[in-house]
Amino acid sequence: MPSPESKSLLVVVRHAPYGSSLARTSLEVALTAATYEQEVGVLFMGEGVLQLLPEQDSTQIGVKNIGKLIASFPLYDLDSLFVDEDALLRHGLDDKNLPQDLRPLGTTAIQQLLRKYDHILGF
Amino acid sequence: MTVILHTLNAAPGSTAFSDCTRLLSSDDALLLMGDGVYAALAGTAAHKDLSNTGASLYLLEADAAAAGILSQTADNVCPVDFDAFVRLTEQFAKQQAWY
Repeated sequence: MPSPESKSLLVVVRHAPYGSSLARTSLEVALTAATYEQEVGVLFMGEGVLQLLPEQDSTQIGVKNIGKLIASFPLYDLDSLFVDEDALLRHGLDDKNLPQDLRPLGTTAIQQLLRKYDHILGF
Repeated sequence: MTVILHTLNAAPGSTAFSDCTRLLSSDDALLLMGDGVYAALAGTAAHKDLSNTGASLYLLEADAAAAGILSQTADNVCPVDFDAFVRLTEQFAKQQAWY
């Protein structure tokens, strides 16, 4: 259980999975905070929604599979996952097989989400 | 009371710009820096979009000077130096970086 003085953290993920190290870094920040029993949420926006594509296979480019990293989140009790529904539509992902527990949010709901958490880290 | 200090370091036309603009509330503040300074140009669609959010608008003076736009920025965008930037970060509980 989080201690009473612990703060909640929202990690905002906006970059595609393999163009830079930002995607992996942002997810590792979320996992680390969850490991220390902080209340953590992850919001996928913009090109960040491309991290949710179900058939990622990064073996040939020699880096960690971002899709599998996200699939491991429930093991760390990291189950507050949100996604910008506009970005899902823009990238044609609205009918794809996306991770469970992922909650699609519109503009107003995202504004409320940003207010709800104590801290925000934008990647 | 203002709630979130947003920083924008991406040019108008980027998804960072459009996502930031879409989520800005009138009680938020936005600091334009790096490539984000071009959104402070008076008369541009980008500046109009930002003004319509009602958020308080700030501009990192050093970056705007480097870009050569300091004399062309809109009146409702307040230029700040690095010390004032730090003071802004102290004023807000939360910060969201768009880049």
